[in-house]
Amino acid sequence: MYFLAIRHLLSRKKQTLLTLLGIVLGATAYIAISGMMLGFQTFIIDQLVNNDSHIRVKAREEMLTVRSLDKAFFESEVLVDWIKAPSGRKDNAYILAPGKWLDRLVMDERISAVSPQLVAQGIATYGKVSIGVSLVGSDPERQKAVTNIESAMLQGKFSDIGNSGNRIAVGDELLKKIGATKGETILLTAGKGLPQPFRIAAVFHLGVKSLDETRVFGALRDIQRLNQTPSRISDIAVRLKDVNLASDLASTYNLIGQEKVQSWDQANEGTMSVFTTQDIVRNSMTISILIVAGFGIYNILSLAVTHKRREIAILRSMGFEPKDITRLFLIQGLILGFFGGLLGVALGFAVSFGMSKMQVSGDRSLGGNHMIVSFDYAIYVKAFVLALASSAFASFLPARAAGRMEPIDIIRGEAS
Amino acid sequence: MSIIMKNIIKSFGTPPTTILKGVSGEIKDGEVVAITGRSGSGKSTLLYIISSLDKPTSGDVIVDSQSLTQMAQSDIHKFRNQKMGFVFQFHHLLPELNALENVLMPTLKSNSSDAFKEYALELLNEFGIGDKANSLPSQLSGGEQQRVAVARALIMKPKILFADEPTGNLDTANGQLVMNLFMRINRARGTTIVFVTHDQLFAQSATRQLNMVDGLIV
Repeated sequence: MYFLAIRHLLSRKKQTLLTLLGIVLGATAYIAISGMMLGFQTFIIDQLVNNDSHIRVKAREEMLTVRSLDKAFFESEVLVDWIKAPSGRKDNAYILAPGKWLDRLVMDERISAVSPQLVAQGIATYGKVSIGVSLVGSDPERQKAVTNIESAMLQGKFSDIGNSGNRIAVGDELLKKIGATKGETILLTAGKGLPQPFRIAAVFHLGVKSLDETRVFGALRDIQRLNQTPSRISDIAVRLKDVNLASDLASTYNLIGQEKVQSWDQANEGTMSVFTTQDIVRNSMTISILIVAGFGIYNILSLAVTHKRREIAILRSMGFEPKDITRLFLIQGLILGFFGGLLGVALGFAVSFGMSKMQVSGDRSLGGNHMIVSFDYAIYVKAFVLALASSAFASFLPARAAGRMEPIDIIRGEAS
Repeated sequence: MSIIMKNIIKSFGTPPTTILKGVSGEIKDGEVVAITGRSGSGKSTLLYIISSLDKPTSGDVIVDSQSLTQMAQSDIHKFRNQKMGFVFQFHHLLPELNALENVLMPTLKSNSSDAFKEYALELLNEFGIGDKANSLPSQLSGGEQQRVAVARALIMKPKILFADEPTGNLDTANGQLVMNLFMRINRARGTTIVFVTHDQLFAQSATRQLNMVDGLIV
């Protein structure tokens, strides 16, 4: 039947080529769109995963309630009626038993590194320019093991901030804004006490503008002193051996203690939901293209079945069974799907390759100055399977109709 | 291989119109039988019923001691492929295949094309179109196409050859050529031949005629 199916297709060269083109374009569009979107997603996820920790243990912020301060001022039996009830956040949040947390995390075999941090809001001043910053105090060696900050260094090394001595690492965007350079001293304050001088020992570029404009890394002890919270830590950054476990592990640890434990994807839920929307749009678009290609196959095979009625009658009179006739037309659809898918995969790869060479930005934040395109093999497998499946589905109905034709009905039709 | 017709009745449509009104009889092994009659007499309907392409409303057809009405569909397909050959008025060759490939089509069912290739060429040579083996149907004349159709019907060495108006679309010379072919096949191979015709000249070539009038053999 393959022999006859191929001959049938070759006898209608123009229609065959047009149908093939539909499938090829469908598969190509799927690969190009998926490659572009997944490339972008992979890059963003890579930024989110590697610029910060896989899991973050954070002090839970407690809010004051109407009764929060009753016992601090009055006997326990006294019912206090506040003129203005206590409200707002309780002081600075910090982890209550950091030692226990660190022991617990270090013991976990799934965790590769932990870095205790004190994160506080502050103001950086250079000359007359003041800018709000996010101060992160950490042990530089432990911090390096948790994120890939070292690879983002533009000037100096991350370990140059040391364990004390008021040295900091700042983002290049922040430096641009305040007009300072490496080696110069700026003033930092965490809102308490007098501003203290810190020397810029290193400059980094994480590729996320909001971080490069505001983040300042210093030694844990220096930031604790600046914030006037000695020995306190607000966060523990955790790196896992397998990043895919982040969400499950964070949910499990979240059940222990008062602290809030969040994985990188839970913390960036908004971004992740954008990706989900992107995936829905991408898949719907591709499925629409393949449905159109499928209609092409349905159309061409339905016409072929009508056109070949007499031949179907002859084949049946020779002893070919209904299933042989069904197979004859189904094979034609599958041949179109197979070669359409194969050519689509090749063309999709070529288009993706071409796109990956296109210059889109001079900014390193977009992974170099070329468009980021994913060449994940799963995209290609999916495109091929989709082309084949839509062809099989589209050819099934005309093929079944052909198989159901009775030779005598066709012969009678011819005679009348 | 004989064919026994037992009170075959065939009705069509609603309300039913009875085309065959109880046809009985026997076609003996090795006979050449012409079914004749006017248009609408039921001759083609009878041919299709005794050749298993159509089913009777009632009655039975016994071919080679087997009842066609009782036979499983899969057995009927096999029976058709191996024991019967068909020739139609419109030769119905597959236009995308050349003459040799058309002749070999029935052998595809049993994946035995290679084994029959030599025999196919023999048939084409015997029918005087050996040099047209690689020609497409569109490159053949009507007579040549019908000879290819006869060769195709004979490729599986069937016991019975059914033909519906095999000369109906041909001029007298080519019609005679096809009839001579039938007689030669019958003599050389002992093939039973049953054909429908309204041409008395060709009907007279048969060893026996079944004349149909209003759904009955008279």
